[in-house]
Amino acid sequence: MANGIQPDLTNLSIREIDVGTILYIGAVLVIAYLAARMLSWVLMRLSERAGVYRISVTMAIPLLKIAIYTTALYLFVTAIIEPSLSQLTVFAGFFGAALGFGLKDVFADIIGGLVITFERPYQIGDKIAIKEHYGEVIDIGLRSTRIRTPFDSVVTIPNFIIFDQSVSSANAGKTEMMVVIDLFIDPESNAELAMDILKDAVVTSKYVYITEHRPYTILLDDFPFYKRVRAKAYVNDLRYEFEFLSEVTRRAWMAYAREGIRPPQVQRILPETAGQTARISESPARKGINERRSVESQEE
Amino acid sequence: MPDGPQESAGSIAASLFQNELETITAAIESYGKKPHQNIAIIADPFAGQQLVIEEIKRRYPDTISYLPFFSVVTGKDFIPNLYTAKDVVVMERCHFLALRKIGGFVMLDEFLDFISSSEKLFITTWNSYSWSYLNAVRQIEGFFPEIIHLPKMDSKTLKDLILVKYEGAKIEFVDDRVIEEKKGIEVLERKITLPIVNRVVSIPWITYSPSVSKLEGIEVKDAVFDRINSIADGNYGVAQRVWERSLDYPEMKMSNIPVTPCAVDLTINEAFLLTIILSMESIQLVDLAEIAGPEINIDQNLYRLIQHGLVEEEKGYFHIKPEALKCVGNYLTRIRMVW
Repeated sequence: MANGIQPDLTNLSIREIDVGTILYIGAVLVIAYLAARMLSWVLMRLSERAGVYRISVTMAIPLLKIAIYTTALYLFVTAIIEPSLSQLTVFAGFFGAALGFGLKDVFADIIGGLVITFERPYQIGDKIAIKEHYGEVIDIGLRSTRIRTPFDSVVTIPNFIIFDQSVSSANAGKTEMMVVIDLFIDPESNAELAMDILKDAVVTSKYVYITEHRPYTILLDDFPFYKRVRAKAYVNDLRYEFEFLSEVTRRAWMAYAREGIRPPQVQRILPETAGQTARISESPARKGINERRSVESQEE
Repeated sequence: MPDGPQESAGSIAASLFQNELETITAAIESYGKKPHQNIAIIADPFAGQQLVIEEIKRRYPDTISYLPFFSVVTGKDFIPNLYTAKDVVVMERCHFLALRKIGGFVMLDEFLDFISSSEKLFITTWNSYSWSYLNAVRQIEGFFPEIIHLPKMDSKTLKDLILVKYEGAKIEFVDDRVIEEKKGIEVLERKITLPIVNRVVSIPWITYSPSVSKLEGIEVKDAVFDRINSIADGNYGVAQRVWERSLDYPEMKMSNIPVTPCAVDLTINEAFLLTIILSMESIQLVDLAEIAGPEINIDQNLYRLIQHGLVEEEKGYFHIKPEALKCVGNYLTRIRMVW
């Protein structure tokens, strides 16, 4: 086997690297970078006009980037050497091994990027929770994924993280996503009326999306010192997640006040459960917000 | 305008909605002979549901009770009328029974409760967008086993129906478009009938006109109605309105037909108000304000919708500008404000 490969490798012809070659390589890299950026920009612009198909359009971005960078790599390699197919294969193997030893984290990120692109655990435009971060995916690069949090911070997450962390996508490539809205009421208030009001607040919201496959649910749960009225419904565009939550909560509480439905009375609640009344939702978003607030208050 | 023979609403309805009228007639004729099935007639705004109702009233003046709604229903006064009504009750614009606000479904629930326990036959008309919404949130489809969607017209049918009013009058169709307007790609709609399932579907029909030669005679007439239908989207009421606004009797110039590019980009509040106006067909400011609540500035948002050419006011009622109906419907569907 080794005898078969040896002559090929020794015959590997390396081109003369002159100024022209360097300029050519530079041009290839710059053009690839600009092409990837430009395509991303164009597709993002197009996706914003595509309404419900927004995420379907952005899905193409990582694929196109990989195609561009693979082509650029091929041009880069062939600018330096003139390999036969078997030489190219062996070279790719050595190159991969070198990367694996020297830049194994970067290499793991790139593999992670490829896995994300083809397996699609999430896509650009999705709302994901990964480790302690929650936000909208704004870019999937070869090395990292960038998400925008509800606080407008951009978090860069290395792609290899998908190999050892679970990723939760709230919308799985769809434009709509489920939002859970919890309202806590005094146990002596009329819970049935509270459910009716919350139902009306949800279905009349300007952000709601209801179809046969995207139904809404209103649930009641009884706790020792309060009752929880919970609505599960889909927001028509995941970007309005918090507006939906806020609008329904505000309108429902206005109606509750008119009907004499009260929040849990503080004196009824034992000290160790008091913190629960402030918890509006158990969604990853809410969890993230609460954690962040907790960190901020500790810093203060 | 010519003094030519005017077709009655009834005969237009009979030509336009022959199959639908047959279904309704059969339901009325068989009432009492077999279990009745309430009917919901669903149509886009201006699509001609009132023509169907007029025709039913004309055919069965003594058999039916006619109970229309003209604005949002705020009281239960209509319920006693249902008790005293004849066995066949025709109710127009039933979408006025529900208001998109907390507690806004009380009248609808009362009505559904009534028809659930009634032996009468209810023939009702609904705005198609309201119907979709109410069906999603209240499953009203279950109360109306017979659902009739008024069909869209093709250009030829629209042409025949509109021109029948001008029999004996000479209308000159003029192709006076500028050269730039004639060249290039135009997306029209064609209707095709699917075999086996026998369903009519609309498909986009892309035409390319490299020629700049003037259209003559019959070609111009067809082109005029193709252009009208590209705005009306098969909606008889919209086509009629575009025709009337474009006709400069005795001339019908192609350049008079408005070319309204559909480039709408609205805020969420504007889109929500537009959704309400589209779903209610025609709504007063006070009802709009009640739905919008305190967080939407009605005056400012309505002003912008009017400026965009999407909404117009008539005698205190706001409705979608007929020429913009297709554009508004497509836009709101795209952003999922209507489902």
